Amino acid sequence: MSLRIQTVEKIYPDFRLQLNFEVRQGELLALLGPSGCGKTTTLRLIAGFIDPDSGSLHMDGRRIDTLPAHRRGIGIVFQDYALFPHLNVGDNIAFGTCMQGWSRRDSKQRTEELLRLVSLKGYGKRKVTRLSGGEQQRVALARALAPRPHLLLLDEPLSALDAKLRKSLRKEILRVQRELSVTTLYVTHDQEEALVLGDRIAVMRDGHIEQIDTPERIYNRPRNLFVGTFLGQANIIQGRLAEREGELAVVKTSVGLLKATWPAEEFDVGDEIVVFFRPEHCSLGRDRANRIRGRVIRKEYLGSHALVEVEVGGEPFTLDLSEEQSLSVGSDVEFSVDPGRCCLFPAARS
Amino acid sequence: MGKTGQPIEAAWAGSRRAAKGSAVILPVLLLAAPVFFLLLFFYFPLGSVLVGGLTDQSGRFSLGIVAALLGNPYYLKIIGFTVWQAILSTLLSVLMGLPGAYLLARYDFRGKRLIQALTTVPFVLPSIIVVLGFVRFFGNNGVLNRFLAALFGLKEPPLKVLYSLQAILLAHAFYNFPIVVRIVSSLWRRIHPSTEEAARSLGAHGFRLFWRVTLPRILPGILSAAALVFIFCLLSFAVVLVLGGGPRYSTLEVEVYRLAKVSLDLKTGSALSLVGAVISLVFLYIYIKLQQRSSFAEQMAEDYERPRLGAMLRSAQGVFYLLYLLLMAVVVLAPMITVVAYSFQARSGWGQQEVSVEWYRRIFSGGGPYLRAVLNSLFFAVMTTLLSLPLGTVLAYVGSRSRFAGSQLLEALMMLPIGISSIILGLGYLKAYQNFPWKIVGSWYAIVFAHTVIAYPFVIRVASATFRKMKSSLPEAARSLGAGPWQLFWYLELPLARSALVAGAAFAFGISVGEINATLMLYNEKLVTIPVMVYRLIGSYNFIGACAMGSVLMLFCFFAFLIIDRAGGEVG
Repeated sequence: MSLRIQTVEKIYPDFRLQLNFEVRQGELLALLGPSGCGKTTTLRLIAGFIDPDSGSLHMDGRRIDTLPAHRRGIGIVFQDYALFPHLNVGDNIAFGTCMQGWSRRDSKQRTEELLRLVSLKGYGKRKVTRLSGGEQQRVALARALAPRPHLLLLDEPLSALDAKLRKSLRKEILRVQRELSVTTLYVTHDQEEALVLGDRIAVMRDGHIEQIDTPERIYNRPRNLFVGTFLGQANIIQGRLAEREGELAVVKTSVGLLKATWPAEEFDVGDEIVVFFRPEHCSLGRDRANRIRGRVIRKEYLGSHALVEVEVGGEPFTLDLSEEQSLSVGSDVEFSVDPGRCCLFPAARS
Repeated sequence: MGKTGQPIEAAWAGSRRAAKGSAVILPVLLLAAPVFFLLLFFYFPLGSVLVGGLTDQSGRFSLGIVAALLGNPYYLKIIGFTVWQAILSTLLSVLMGLPGAYLLARYDFRGKRLIQALTTVPFVLPSIIVVLGFVRFFGNNGVLNRFLAALFGLKEPPLKVLYSLQAILLAHAFYNFPIVVRIVSSLWRRIHPSTEEAARSLGAHGFRLFWRVTLPRILPGILSAAALVFIFCLLSFAVVLVLGGGPRYSTLEVEVYRLAKVSLDLKTGSALSLVGAVISLVFLYIYIKLQQRSSFAEQMAEDYERPRLGAMLRSAQGVFYLLYLLLMAVVVLAPMITVVAYSFQARSGWGQQEVSVEWYRRIFSGGGPYLRAVLNSLFFAVMTTLLSLPLGTVLAYVGSRSRFAGSQLLEALMMLPIGISSIILGLGYLKAYQNFPWKIVGSWYAIVFAHTVIAYPFVIRVASATFRKMKSSLPEAARSLGAGPWQLFWYLELPLARSALVAGAAFAFGISVGEINATLMLYNEKLVTIPVMVYRLIGSYNFIGACAMGSVLMLFCFFAFLIIDRAGGEVG
């Protein structure tokens, strides 16, 4: 099933949610944004717990916003799992199938199937209050999937778990999602989770979606400075478009002239511009374009790579260097960045 | 195309309205029966008291009767005394309760659970038992006086507390100080001692530490407990009726009872009820406001290490608390133990060594008025439970789930019976239904309905606490899995509220079985209950019989108490 959210609007006294996007058949769309941006409200609108002020929701072309929550056929995994404390694991999973009038036999069979799917075979009779956080999470997933929902919504499902468990469970969620190829909307504020899980990522801010795209494009070709700085680390420097050399834009900045390719055609000579590039796209050596000289002011060794902070005329830059470099704090350094890796944004009007 | 699109859109909009409509219709349907019941058996009787107090003999509106009351020094004295004894009783209860609240909040000790559980006792212990225990323990011929007289070789009883203001105050404090312990300690417990530790590190200690740092934070709890105790003392009936010793110490409640049952002057009774209701409702409002403040005042965790009580009791300040604990144990337990012990005496008078179960044989041998009282009480209590449980549950459910215009007003109206004394309720039944084609007064269901009106607010309190505590994601999860409104209630909310409902049922049972105020107004010879029988036996100085009946009553209340404790019901 695909889900279309069509010009939906929900207005609160201090907040306005405006949405217009689609979750495609079988994909996992990660809804990513800082807290308070409206992710959870979006989810609750789709689930039917709150009504939009205008606009409509469609599933495979059929309108669903007129249906009450219990008729929408949408499975939800809640942030706090919301397992029913008075029911055991099996009865929790079977709750949906029972409510939707499945026969006792089908319901039982389906429950067993799901217990196996989330690797909890034999847990059916256990009390949910006795389970570990990770197990509760998997029961919540199984319960949401049991009645074969048209759509699966996950609301920060891993946020209550520790880092190690988060990593193994997100693999599990991905495996289950692929196996059932159920259309999924995954709300998170964790960029790594979004990058790993999402077929596409929708980056949200202040009640609207800034960009919706594949993880690679979101990361490498952010549409604006917010998306670029929200995901991953970034170097930014202000400047003015000096000239154009075919596909290349030449930007005059306080650290010298910087060349960039994307999207050069959107700007005119003289425009105030921000040049944006990732720390890992910087490299040492003088053989390339966009050479910048500075002084090392801090170094963080992280095992497989190192973060080096370089000051250039009062502007700090971060380099992410994969190989062991004999750079010491206080020494001079020259680095360069591929023009093809530099993005241009209009300068933020302050 | 635009034309064909139009009706479809309209149809969608229509079904949407219908969906929204059902969200309103459901609570309305649910509410219909309880509202109808309360209109008929609470608001109509209350209204007729109101009308009775505000009309003259010809039925025209007049403030004359109320004005005459307020100009009459006799009634002014009664109003004054009612408020005065309630103030003193409240102060005494707070003073007696605070050290206990401190011990429960700040120390760990063996038996703490039991003591905490015992603070529920005032909610289920019938007032007539308190009265009986006091008469037998503190009376001129009571245990305490006997003991002191024997100890010092006196001819006269040294303590003459009965039938005086002191007796009323003492009984009220005994009855209500556990409420102070309960409410204050539950707030105090949630306040992490780190602020006190910080204050101590800055040089504050002793009384100054308490006054400047601790007291301001527990004050909301103290005030809310005091307001509740004040209302209870204001509406107290049996204690004043017996221990006040006749017209000398009479309160509004007792006076209304006398006017209605002795002088048969319903008109003056109504007017006096009106005055009483206004006073108690003002304080009920204050209590509700204070309670809202105290429940939001502190949201901190209770998990911190508490020192052991044993070590503290061996220190210098421990002597004070040791004495306190001893005194409280005597004050609380002695009257109750006295009742049970005295019921096994063979003959009246003390110094009897002979143990006898004669009275229990008389009660349970069958056929007599005593067994009938026991059976009546059980029957009323069961019926009250069966009625007030669904009534309170539905009201609590709707109150905690739906928000609509005026829902807060509705909630206040539903809780109103807490602030209206059961004497006034009884008077209302007498007045409202005296010329009614349907004979209600003198029937068993009048008593059951009155008990239900008195008991269901407790069910509401216990149930709505549970409904409110439920995480909002649980019903949402159930809805997303396909549960409609009824299934949601039946398969999720009801099972989750089960233990609260068990506690609510036990409350209703306990309250009904011990109720005496409204019952005294409404009973006849066929409808005597245990508390009424105890009252009559006290009146005829048949104390062994009273104590035996009282012990049976205490047994029922004890079971109710056990169930409430097991189910973890929360009140107050």
